[in-house]
Amino acid sequence: MQDRVERMSIEDEIALEVVSVDKRFGSVHALSNVSMRFRRGRVTALLGENGAGKSTLIRVCSGVHQPDSGEVLVSGKAERMSGSLAAKRMGIAVVQQEPQLVSQMTVAENIFLARLGSRAGTGLHHRTGLVGEAETLLAGLGLDKELPDLGGRCAGLSAAERQLVEIARALAADPHVLFLDEPNSSLTRKETDRLFDIVRRLRDRGTAVVLVSHRLGEVYEISDEVIVMRDGRKVGEGSVDALPKQQAIQLMAGERLKAALDLAGSTAPTAPVPGAVPVLSVRDASGLAFSNVSFDIQAGEIVGMAGLVGSGRTEIIRAIIGADPLFGGDIRLNGKSVRFGSPRSALRGGIAFIAEERRTSVFYGHSISFNLTSNVLERFGRFGFFSERKRRAFAQESANEIGVKADNVDVGIRTLSGGNQQKVLLARALASNPSLLILDEPTRGVDVRTKADMYRQIRTLAHEKGLAVWFVSSELDEILQLADRIVVVRGGEVVDSLARGPEAARVVASALGEKIEDAATTVLTSGMA
Amino acid sequence: MMNKGNRMSIASLKRLPLLRGQEAGLIGVILGLSIAFSFVNPSFLTTDNLRNVLVAVAVVGIMSIGQCFVIIAREIDLSVGSVMGLSGLCGAWLMAAGLNPWLAIVLAIGVGATAGLVTGLIVVVFRVNSFIATLGMLSVARGLTQVISGGLPIMVDPSVMFIGQGTFFDIPVQVLIFVGLGIICQFILTRSVVGQRIVAVGDNDEAARLSGIPINTTRIAVFVASGALAAIAGIVYTTQVSVAEAQAGTGLELDVIAAVVIGGASLSGGRGSILGAMLGAYLLGALRNAFILLELSPFLQQMSVGMVIVLAAIFDQFRQGSFRHANVMPSFLHIFRSRTR
Repeated sequence: MQDRVERMSIEDEIALEVVSVDKRFGSVHALSNVSMRFRRGRVTALLGENGAGKSTLIRVCSGVHQPDSGEVLVSGKAERMSGSLAAKRMGIAVVQQEPQLVSQMTVAENIFLARLGSRAGTGLHHRTGLVGEAETLLAGLGLDKELPDLGGRCAGLSAAERQLVEIARALAADPHVLFLDEPNSSLTRKETDRLFDIVRRLRDRGTAVVLVSHRLGEVYEISDEVIVMRDGRKVGEGSVDALPKQQAIQLMAGERLKAALDLAGSTAPTAPVPGAVPVLSVRDASGLAFSNVSFDIQAGEIVGMAGLVGSGRTEIIRAIIGADPLFGGDIRLNGKSVRFGSPRSALRGGIAFIAEERRTSVFYGHSISFNLTSNVLERFGRFGFFSERKRRAFAQESANEIGVKADNVDVGIRTLSGGNQQKVLLARALASNPSLLILDEPTRGVDVRTKADMYRQIRTLAHEKGLAVWFVSSELDEILQLADRIVVVRGGEVVDSLARGPEAARVVASALGEKIEDAATTVLTSGMA
Repeated sequence: MMNKGNRMSIASLKRLPLLRGQEAGLIGVILGLSIAFSFVNPSFLTTDNLRNVLVAVAVVGIMSIGQCFVIIAREIDLSVGSVMGLSGLCGAWLMAAGLNPWLAIVLAIGVGATAGLVTGLIVVVFRVNSFIATLGMLSVARGLTQVISGGLPIMVDPSVMFIGQGTFFDIPVQVLIFVGLGIICQFILTRSVVGQRIVAVGDNDEAARLSGIPINTTRIAVFVASGALAAIAGIVYTTQVSVAEAQAGTGLELDVIAAVVIGGASLSGGRGSILGAMLGAYLLGALRNAFILLELSPFLQQMSVGMVIVLAAIFDQFRQGSFRHANVMPSFLHIFRSRTR
């Protein structure tokens, strides 16, 4: 009884409070009069579409940005945080969406990187000691089995492993308030479950956890409270019971809900002509992390490759477009045997590719127009020169076509939201008029509405214009909604290949380690049947 | 309302390619300084003196054009001064050996381009950092120059001396070469496929590779361009002083890099303009000239040149908005407090 009372009092304690915060960036009103509280021992979900102001709020709470007006209270005391280091000292930790690791340091060193900031110049730096300490820390968190060799460098880690190192680093500081910004966007279901276990343990120890994610199903599993933001304002808050998922989606999308709900409606795939030569035919291919992979992609077909992170799906793509070595096998493009030595020759052969991580694809210092036209400039002129007018017109036209939201194409791509950047990349891939479009996690970290938009466009491209599309995803919903045919990869081998339908839903779900219990998924799969 | 209208017009002015960012600032600084100096010494703002400054900056200016490509591609070329000396000497040596002077000039430019090609191949094939590769080339080219010359100066054929000494409609030929090359290269940078590839490789080389840009060829191309332009600078310099000697161009790489940085190019790649680099070279030359006309100590001159370089870089950070001045003072204060506690 005594225990229970104590726990209640901890839960009621407000760890972090934001009071009437306003923040502007030039003409953009990123946060307007936002007030919210994060309690100890609770998981709060912060929901909103791209550009709703979630990330800005996190930056204000963690000292990266200073609010124009309003204040941030830590444990009831108004604090002016002059930077992220100051925030860290007050026990506020943030796990960023894109892991920021020092690739030449070991995993253990990255986990304890903050020590370099707080104890500059004092004490020697023991590599082996750090590894031992990291082991103890990770064992306490139940993460010890997830991470690769703690003494190894971070340079060769996969996206999921990088994410785990980032999370471990945030936890190393034993924070009172932990912000997780899209922590599971590159994690599979199983990895996400483990992450959520850790989150629950932290919550029980009295940490205030704030979770930002676009995967609502998962968010609702773990959260106690929900806060919804739209256009820089708080538009709703409540406990998970008081604010159910459907209502949250409505609040997030506002007027634009209809577009998002259009999502399930799709054009019928054109039946493949019998005996037609497939656009891409892969036979017995082997490479760095896969072997004996065989599959076909027909014109007008969307093939979804389902598999966990580390199953070899990304490696298959990279080997076929020539970014990584291909050890053996027969690759035929439109019936002709090919072997690409670089992504450039693949592009010339008619294969366009969008990589998994946006930071490896975007020219951040430049405009939409520059990013969109970077590999088709030859088309706007001759003798190696081009006309800026033609380039701009082309960029403007394809940006409009694909629905990029920006005033004009001279705007820096950095100012766009993640979803809009992804659309620019899609437009760039399409600019080269490919016969095969390859997308690695096409909607990672993209909001519901932009997702729906992109699915519609990809379907139109395939089913009406005859483009062959091959995408890889670890999101069950995405595979089931978008793919005409599903190829399942596990342990570097193709283990199944089937048309979409309820049967496929079960197989893919088990391959991704996911249960079909989510109402939305059930509706969707029955709709497809 | 009025205020908003004003801001709009400034925004639309910025769209003019000539008045973008650092270039506009540089033109302002150059005009401001020129007017200020002319109050002290009226001869500063005369056509004659303008011509003097331009003649003095032509050599560094031509090299800064090539360096600008290199820096935009997120590489650096420390060998320009040596390659300039080597090419100039090779030209004079071939002329002295009886070759047609024009053919000798073409071959000399070839020597510069070859030096760039070698550097480029080392950077691309062996993945040697360009700072190291060109530091090596700096020494090798200088050594080679001394081997070829044997330490003795070589006279230039009089028939080509007009390149460094002649005028065309009262404009020095070397100034015409400098400005002409600048205009052509600015055009190549902003309006050619190769130019945009250079920018793309400098901004994000992995993105460039995955989107099908030939990043290795592009990298080699910038070093070849830098070598060839250094060679042209070498010819201009040699014909200007009528004699090729082994020490020509020593230490000029620092001036060249300074000019490019003053011109708004970012050492982290992806950003910069040829026009800016030319203006940067002009500003450096004008400052030196002013110190001579104002009869100030040459030591002060050196100090002020150094300050201009750093100020230009700070100004650029302000313009980019990456300087979070709001955070700097509090964190300094914090350090101060924690140290004094």
